[in-house]
Amino acid sequence: MIGIDAIDDREGRGRRFLIPAFSGPTREKLALLKKKSTQIWKTFRGNTLGMVGFAILIAFLIMAIFASQIMWILSLIAGWDHAYDPFEEVAEVGSGIPPSSEHWLGTDTRGMDILSRVIHGSRVSLLVGIVATVVSMGLGTAVGLLSGYWGGWKDEVLMRITDVFLVLPWLVLMIVLASVLPGGPTVGKVIFVIGITGWSATARIVRAQVFSVKERAFVERARAIGAGDIHIVGRHVFPNVFPLVFANAVLTIALAILSESTLSFIRLGPLATDVVTWGNMLDDAITAGAMANELYLWILVPGLCIVFVVLGFTFVGYALDEIFNPKLRSR
Amino acid sequence: MKHGTKILARKIFNSIITLLLVIIINFILFRMMPGDPINFMVPNDPRIPHEYKLELIEKYGLRDPLLEQFFTYFEDVLTLDFGDSFIFTNTPAMDIVIENLKWTLVLTGTSSILMIVIGMTIGIYAAWKRGSSFDTGSLAFSLFFYAMPTFWLAMMLIIVFALHWELFPPDSALTYGETFEFSISSIVDLLRHLVLPATCLTLVSIGAFVLIMRGSLIDVMTEEYITTAKAKGLTDSETLKHHAVPNAMLPMVALIAIDIAYIVGGAFQTEYVFNYPGIGWTTIDAVYKSDWPILQAAFFLIALAVIVANLIADILLVYMDPRVKMG
Repeated sequence: MIGIDAIDDREGRGRRFLIPAFSGPTREKLALLKKKSTQIWKTFRGNTLGMVGFAILIAFLIMAIFASQIMWILSLIAGWDHAYDPFEEVAEVGSGIPPSSEHWLGTDTRGMDILSRVIHGSRVSLLVGIVATVVSMGLGTAVGLLSGYWGGWKDEVLMRITDVFLVLPWLVLMIVLASVLPGGPTVGKVIFVIGITGWSATARIVRAQVFSVKERAFVERARAIGAGDIHIVGRHVFPNVFPLVFANAVLTIALAILSESTLSFIRLGPLATDVVTWGNMLDDAITAGAMANELYLWILVPGLCIVFVVLGFTFVGYALDEIFNPKLRSR
Repeated sequence: MKHGTKILARKIFNSIITLLLVIIINFILFRMMPGDPINFMVPNDPRIPHEYKLELIEKYGLRDPLLEQFFTYFEDVLTLDFGDSFIFTNTPAMDIVIENLKWTLVLTGTSSILMIVIGMTIGIYAAWKRGSSFDTGSLAFSLFFYAMPTFWLAMMLIIVFALHWELFPPDSALTYGETFEFSISSIVDLLRHLVLPATCLTLVSIGAFVLIMRGSLIDVMTEEYITTAKAKGLTDSETLKHHAVPNAMLPMVALIAIDIAYIVGGAFQTEYVFNYPGIGWTTIDAVYKSDWPILQAAFFLIALAVIVANLIADILLVYMDPRVKMG
């Protein structure tokens, strides 16, 4: 994979915000960590795109946490008789009803309020996006650290496995996994499927980073005074690759959210009767013929929600990448 | 050149290993499925005689030791035999997949050419006019479409261009009931059906090309040989054409290789929404109908295609990169 070699090369250079190997008492470490974070936050604040992304994400986070409360406030403002629950049948079942003052975005085939479903749908998107990313980052970091640290034939074996996940089209792999794995279509399964498909790029990046870190003086020094492998990887190598993994993770969340909505849309995600996701709302819409029936808001709003959440994570991810990656910074 | 040959040999070796791993994964995955495979082949219908089931078990070797099953399977893979489709009985699954592959190639081929040509042009211009409103605009455009779910963009295109303005047909690859023949009307029909899906796939994938071309060109333009070229008295466009762009092409070729995986993912969604009868549509349809031979055949064929495409890109890169040749 020459493409990845190119990335290796890019990541191989020195880094601006390397967190040094800690050795002093805990208090000193914390003070140092605090100083670093303040420094990073200051740089981040200067990045317009990053701050726009951050604002978008805060908005969606509030939407996800306070979904029911937001519906309640809206019901007071609009004078609805109560706050509609996303699974409540509030209108007649059929092919969907156009927007009205009672239901701002209309109701769907099951007679459920679309606005309420859109607002509650943010929960699954964020949850799946973040948890699946934690899974794939964990896997990718573990494989990358071990591979880079071990080197030799073990590295070779791990990298060939990584290659498989790297070249195979992500959606195809997810479709096959989602359809052959046992168990019903649950949120947990979607998280697993996305997590297990998306770790390979991280493994590559971490491995390249480990190769460049492990020859540095402080690692040699640690080894010279008798530090074991686990100690070196955990205390010296990992802290140095972490910032990059973090920037990469934020970009991966964007992809995970896109994957979740796609799986839900092609009915390999959770069922619309159990869990609301923007993806399965759009599947409902296309199945109900919302395109031909001119129920445009039903399609437009969930889709735009996905676009903006993904943009939010992408903006923040690029901003972090610029902070942690001096090569990009100098441009 | 010796160094180059060594790299090539290694790339080819790695590709073969990757392919072997894919074959193993394909085997394991489809044996991980819950339930007895025989129940997938024959519905649990009391009218079907038990003897028929036993016959099938015998025929497919479903009770053989796992290792033996693997070797039988491996032989079948080498002859591209994945058994008959469950739904279209007496038709080999591979035949169906290959039949549909041609539509995917029409769609991805058209889109790839469009996204490379347009993406590179925008990227070069953005890098040249760095910091201008065109540059910012192209960046916003790229990120916006990058963030967009492909299936949703497809729905939007259908609403606007097929249902509202009725400019292009909303689905299928040809008018229903027609088959393709080499006549003007048939080609026009094919192109009319191709416009929206190809636009969709191009738009969602073009962003990466714009961003990488721009980034790579900006990198190259800070190199000393560009300053030298300018100092020699070359005009800006000469410098760009003869020195900057050729050197900025390497990451582009690498990107095309990596992007194949994303283009295939995009093609799956595009085909699904537009009912375009390609391999993606077939695969998703096979999932709905539990037609496992088709799913297995499609998975293998896509993996094979992607691995070969990656290898070709790698070989191209080796030949293009002057550093490799000299070493």
